[in-house]
Amino acid sequence: MTVERRELSVRGTPIHLLTAGAGPPLLFLHGAGGAGRWLPFQERLATTFTVYAPSHPGHGGSPDAPWIEHISDLAFHYLDLLDALGLDRVRLVGASFGGWIGAELATMASHRLQALVLIDPVGIKVDGWIYPFLFGMDVPEVVATVFHDPMAALALAPPDQSVDTLALQYRQGAALARVSWNPYLYDPLLRRRLGRIVAPTLLCWGAHDRLAPWSPCGETWAKEIPEASRRVFADSGHVPHLEEPAAVAAAVIDFCRSAEGGA
Amino acid sequence: MKFYYFHLMPYPMDHAEPSSWVTLSNRYYDPAVGQRLYNQYLDQLEYAEKLGWDGVCVNEHHQNCYGTMPSPNVMAAMLARRTSRAKIAILGNGLPLRENPLRVAEEIAMLDVVSGGRVISGFVRGISAEYFSTGMNPAHSRERFYEAAELILRAWTEAGPFPFDGKFYRYHYVNPWPRPLQKPHPPVWCPSQGSSETVEWAAKRRFPYLMVFTPIKRIAQIYGEYREACERYGYTASRYQLTVNVPIAVAETDAKARELAQQHVMWVFNVGLRMHPPFWRPPGYLTEASLRRLLASPPRLPSELGFEEADREGYLIYGSPATVRDKLRVFSDELRAGILCSGLNGGSHERTLEMMELFAREVMPHFREDAHVDETAGVGR
Repeated sequence: MTVERRELSVRGTPIHLLTAGAGPPLLFLHGAGGAGRWLPFQERLATTFTVYAPSHPGHGGSPDAPWIEHISDLAFHYLDLLDALGLDRVRLVGASFGGWIGAELATMASHRLQALVLIDPVGIKVDGWIYPFLFGMDVPEVVATVFHDPMAALALAPPDQSVDTLALQYRQGAALARVSWNPYLYDPLLRRRLGRIVAPTLLCWGAHDRLAPWSPCGETWAKEIPEASRRVFADSGHVPHLEEPAAVAAAVIDFCRSAEGGA
Repeated sequence: MKFYYFHLMPYPMDHAEPSSWVTLSNRYYDPAVGQRLYNQYLDQLEYAEKLGWDGVCVNEHHQNCYGTMPSPNVMAAMLARRTSRAKIAILGNGLPLRENPLRVAEEIAMLDVVSGGRVISGFVRGISAEYFSTGMNPAHSRERFYEAAELILRAWTEAGPFPFDGKFYRYHYVNPWPRPLQKPHPPVWCPSQGSSETVEWAAKRRFPYLMVFTPIKRIAQIYGEYREACERYGYTASRYQLTVNVPIAVAETDAKARELAQQHVMWVFNVGLRMHPPFWRPPGYLTEASLRRLLASPPRLPSELGFEEADREGYLIYGSPATVRDKLRVFSDELRAGILCSGLNGGSHERTLEMMELFAREVMPHFREDAHVDETAGVGR
């Protein structure tokens, strides 16, 4: 499939955007380390939707945007992106950190979403759970925490160890830290606001997620968004869209179709 | 040359854990041993004044066996009452790590008043690992540092009360009692590892620059950059703006000193600074420019530093008094550093005191052409 890669300015913030496919618009928000990659998951979604996959500012090909200091800045940034693309309503799919941004956006402007799919999102304070501190881990520890199948991590492996690659990874880490170091991976205000989400919502979860396990994390999301549908992926850790891309993409497509009245 | 006695107050121990910082369990810390160590270390610092050192130095580190002074101001307070002549250099307070940096302005002013104006106030960002120990966001480190420093300097020099409305720190009433004794304020030093931004910041304000545990080639390079920056700001750096921190082992013979350096000085690098790799480089602590500079010629991890290399690269100095004198000439004459800020470690309290005596008797007097110069006049403020 031909993937269009372009730069655009979103209310003065330059970003890098991948677009492919045909059909109704779907916005995919990547997790940490997933910027700028067109993976089998997006490829499958693009058979049914026009997939827009931007890199968060500071990640991948998007330059750092120092004004982004809080997760809500990213959510507003993506509302601005929808305006810049002239998209009134979209399906929003967010994975992990991208799920957090998606959930923030949904609490602000649920009416802009035809459907919301959260894949192992972080972002809320969960009673009895402290997210393992990835910033303090080396690569093997991160892989062991995030992936059920470590081989799936190869999809996100850096191309080399050049100064440019290492500098990019550092810049991504800094952009991530700025909004998520402390409180770590959550916004204390978000959980209570989840009740504002009225868009049809699907929670996708890896059965072996060790960063944000279904119990108690997924259960908390399910409690706060009681109408949400749920799908658990038996062979996945924290990133089922990388570990079982075909199954997750099929679930997303099915859910969006049913949310739109079987169209 | 001026001599300042530097202490980390380590908790010397061997262990097989991957990191001496952040995660090394404090169950290894025996308070009874700690009591002995703290008091011996304080004795050493007090003895340094008696032996002729011009200053004594304490510093802030958290959650490790490398240095057990989480609050340097507490140690400085003890020294303020037990010394009467030496400068007390706090190298320094980790400004961004504080929720309320006005507290630093208050404590330094207290120490300055009690000590009769002998305090030197180091401003530091804190070592990378300390952002893991305190929970502070490393991506805010530099901005918080500049803002806290500005706040403290204003609190010391402007009549209060005044409001301060920063990005991280906000007060309606900045009005600390006491005010510092030294005018306009205690000298400020910048201990650092050579980021170009800090060099620039310190040079602009005439704040002395202190390189800690750095190979000599890099010290020479950073000193050059600092001097150049001072010229750009319209003045020539005083030699007392350039301070060097290098561990020293001195003994009757080179062979004996070598043995002591191998055993005890190398502990600081090989064990004390053993760190789980992610703790070295928290996200956003370095600017991208500094990171690229670091990656272009990556320094060896201290835990992997061998003795021969440490010796060759000038991470440490050891030898008989004559050898140590020759090696120090490089710092005093070639690098033109005005202040040597070093600790001695003989492996035991008694041997450390003996080493201090030997150094004071056989080394220090050879570098005293400037005995009557006040190294703090006109610098650091």
